[in-house]
Amino acid sequence: MSENEDFLKVAIEIAQKENIDEVIAQRIKGKTYQIRFSNSLIDNSKIWSNDILELFLAKGKRTTQIDIEAPNPTKIRNTIIKASKFLLKLPESFLYNGMESNLHTYKKLDQIFDPKIMSFSEKAPELVNTAIQTSLESGAKKVAGVLYFGYSKTELMTNYGNEGSYDGSYYRFTIRSFVDAESSGQGIVCSRNLSGVEKKFSQAGIKAGEIAKMAVGGTQGHPGKYDVIMSPTVAANVLGQVFDGLNPIKIMIGMSPLKNKHIGKQIASEDFTVVDNALLDNGLGSRPFDVEGTPTGKTPIFTNGILEGLLHNTSTSKMEQVENTGNSIFFDFGIGSKFLAPGPSNIVISGGNYTLEEIIAECKKPTIYLTSNWYTRFTNMMDGLFSTIPRDGMFLIENGEIKKPVRKLRLSDNLLRICSNISAIGKDVQQIYWWEVVTPTFSPTIKVNDCTITAATQ
Amino acid sequence: MENGKDIADFAVNYGVSHGASYIEARVVDSRDESYATRNGVILSGGITYLCGIAIRVLANGGMGFCSTANLTKNTIEAVIEEAIKLAKASKRKTPITFSDEKVVQAKWKTPVKIKFEDISIEEKQKFMFDIDKILNKEFRFKLPTRTFLLDLYSDEKYIVTSEGSKVESENSIISTISFNTAKGKAGGEQRMLNLGGTSGWEWIEENNVVEKILDDNKCLVKAARNAIETNLNEVDVVISGEVAGIMAHENVGHPSEADRILGREGAQAGESFYLDLIQKGNLGDIKIGREEVTIIDDPTRPGNSGFYLYDDECVKARPRYLIKKGMLNELLLNREYASRYNTKSNAAARAISYKREPIIRMANTYFAPGDFTFEELFEDIKTGIYMKSFTEWNIDDRRFQSKYVGLEVYLIENGEITDTMIRRPILELTTFGILGNVDAVSKDFNSPHGYCGKGEPMQGVPVWLGGPHVRLRNINLGGKNK
Repeated sequence: MSENEDFLKVAIEIAQKENIDEVIAQRIKGKTYQIRFSNSLIDNSKIWSNDILELFLAKGKRTTQIDIEAPNPTKIRNTIIKASKFLLKLPESFLYNGMESNLHTYKKLDQIFDPKIMSFSEKAPELVNTAIQTSLESGAKKVAGVLYFGYSKTELMTNYGNEGSYDGSYYRFTIRSFVDAESSGQGIVCSRNLSGVEKKFSQAGIKAGEIAKMAVGGTQGHPGKYDVIMSPTVAANVLGQVFDGLNPIKIMIGMSPLKNKHIGKQIASEDFTVVDNALLDNGLGSRPFDVEGTPTGKTPIFTNGILEGLLHNTSTSKMEQVENTGNSIFFDFGIGSKFLAPGPSNIVISGGNYTLEEIIAECKKPTIYLTSNWYTRFTNMMDGLFSTIPRDGMFLIENGEIKKPVRKLRLSDNLLRICSNISAIGKDVQQIYWWEVVTPTFSPTIKVNDCTITAATQ
Repeated sequence: MENGKDIADFAVNYGVSHGASYIEARVVDSRDESYATRNGVILSGGITYLCGIAIRVLANGGMGFCSTANLTKNTIEAVIEEAIKLAKASKRKTPITFSDEKVVQAKWKTPVKIKFEDISIEEKQKFMFDIDKILNKEFRFKLPTRTFLLDLYSDEKYIVTSEGSKVESENSIISTISFNTAKGKAGGEQRMLNLGGTSGWEWIEENNVVEKILDDNKCLVKAARNAIETNLNEVDVVISGEVAGIMAHENVGHPSEADRILGREGAQAGESFYLDLIQKGNLGDIKIGREEVTIIDDPTRPGNSGFYLYDDECVKARPRYLIKKGMLNELLLNREYASRYNTKSNAAARAISYKREPIIRMANTYFAPGDFTFEELFEDIKTGIYMKSFTEWNIDDRRFQSKYVGLEVYLIENGEITDTMIRRPILELTTFGILGNVDAVSKDFNSPHGYCGKGEPMQGVPVWLGGPHVRLRNINLGGKNK
């Protein structure tokens, strides 16, 4: 029996002695590294030694969730005793309808751990400096970015006897190259395994440098109605706002443009097919089980534009009387305590038939090509009214050709309208995970017709 | 904490003897109690206790950072050695240096009358449920979706550096978020109201929090039901302290951050349009707005959400006059960027937890009050709008092109605020477009709470962003998202 299993068992036994009805104990142990760079130099190298025991306790419909960092038996005992007393003073939550109680076995996801990650810190700084150099050689004047990598072992045990574990590794690399202060481009690469990592870093650096060079000489764009081509990075962020809203709790509290009445209806263009898939070999969100111990899988979200359903855990599936999709996570609102709610694993948007060049060539109307974006905010989340700010290279396309770089525009539109106005989907599906996309999303280039583009009035 | 202090002292000695030219250790012992409700029913509740150490080193011109909650000497030794090794491996051509600062030994704490743990769990929940009862009784179906969060955070912190500085602190922050949807004829309106401060539980009563939430929701419901679409184009605009505060924060505070100006946030929160200005002139000589504009960032205001007396690099805090009478006056600096500018730090280094590096942050950012009374601001406006609150906002990553969508907004006609509410007018303006059109600032003052996001991994720090009422002349309203 491993030390981890000891801790998980200890936690469950202590909780049961405190008359807790249902218990989840999940321990995540490992290391995370980060190398940040700017002005073509490494700014800071960081190491986090992670060892966290996440506990969920339920007595009837009273629930609480607590984290214990660097757990040991004494800390576990003291924390659970305190939390149990706290729990009894909480009111019942009508949203809690129990957790996974059936016994399961889980698929092995061997491909989500690459043992080479254990020694990657030895060569990572050199690879970063090489990628910086490559981007400079491709035309950039300065380069900024970040490399994360790390590994972890996740072990889960519940009072219902479900037990499982998996090892994971990952890296994610963002590189942003500048030719001048307003001419920049970005490259992103992320993976579970290190195969070809040096080449991938360099390719990301070259791509960033090339976009930055193309953006040189950009001028103020004109507001108006345009077709918009969203790069995989932009599509993952903008459409990601819809996927975030697949959580029935978010719908209930007005934080989603989706509604139950949309289920089974065509609310996106016919070419739009999306799944949540937790079992992908290379997905940064892959996992064999969710935090309740429900086996994960592949859940259809959109099929040919029809919203198939939402993501669920035990509680929401009972509430909505639908199948549990195995998407339970410890959810919070950015601050404050966590609770069990559904959340995405890896979102996968099916690729289409076009290359980027073909999508551009077929643009008959004035079109804006966005390579990156940030700061997406809402006037009304239920209505999907939002705006987001393009950054890095942005280009005006006329008569099927990139005409010129443009600047200082804003995409101000509606999420559901965007879903229904998708007019072309690229073949170039790429996993996106960066500062502005926090759910691993496999996304292609996506073209959307008749978008509203605005600009500062003075 | 006593054991934590010993470990931090040990870490500094160990780092110095193992090749660090500088090392700082920061132990944070925190308690975070929070609750969330939806329509008066609990969603979540919990108390999390965390204690860990952050260690930052300089070695061979590179910087390394590590953190762990395992406060044993063996673990600390191992992570410091690895941090030093990685710092050296960065192979910087130009070494990172810190400004020379006074060595200090100091203690500070947030004034607290009633500690969070001295209030029963039942009383905290009663506060939350009572708010929902009041809102439900007052508005019923007009306010169908109500989410409320209460967060009670406190920590003890000990920072020690290899230069001999030692700062101990105790902080306490209370905050609430109310996210509600009101139904109206033309659809719904949503509002996220942040309230908070550095205080104990007494903050709720001393700040009339229940009344503030009720009043805010009255305005939300009124806006949803009464606001009308208009075709206004060029108007004078009076903005409240809430709107002035977010502009001070986004359009002035962020571009004043020296790490952005010099590119460190290039791949994350972005750079700053100030770089262009500073390359052409000197601080104090660069005109950025009209002389009515003075914008201050002041960590030393007790009770405000960004209150502190020493930053996370042991530098004594003071007010920073970012813009003085329309002239760009001062940047926000930590020790690394003070060194780059060959000056002293103004204590802007903050870290949100022991797992994060200290980086340049705002604290309490505001438009300085002027000489006008509230009424005088409106007297000579023929046609205008009075924007009391906002919903959507964003700004480009050089902090120049901003957008603020109004929520509670009234039409001004012939010097009077009318009862006519305007639906979602948009100020889509450059920073110059804002600061260059301010012609009057009132004497009054408002102090909203918020969270500021920056850094990677993201650090959402509590800040305060406010000010008086501010008048902007001849503003063209922006295009809408349909």
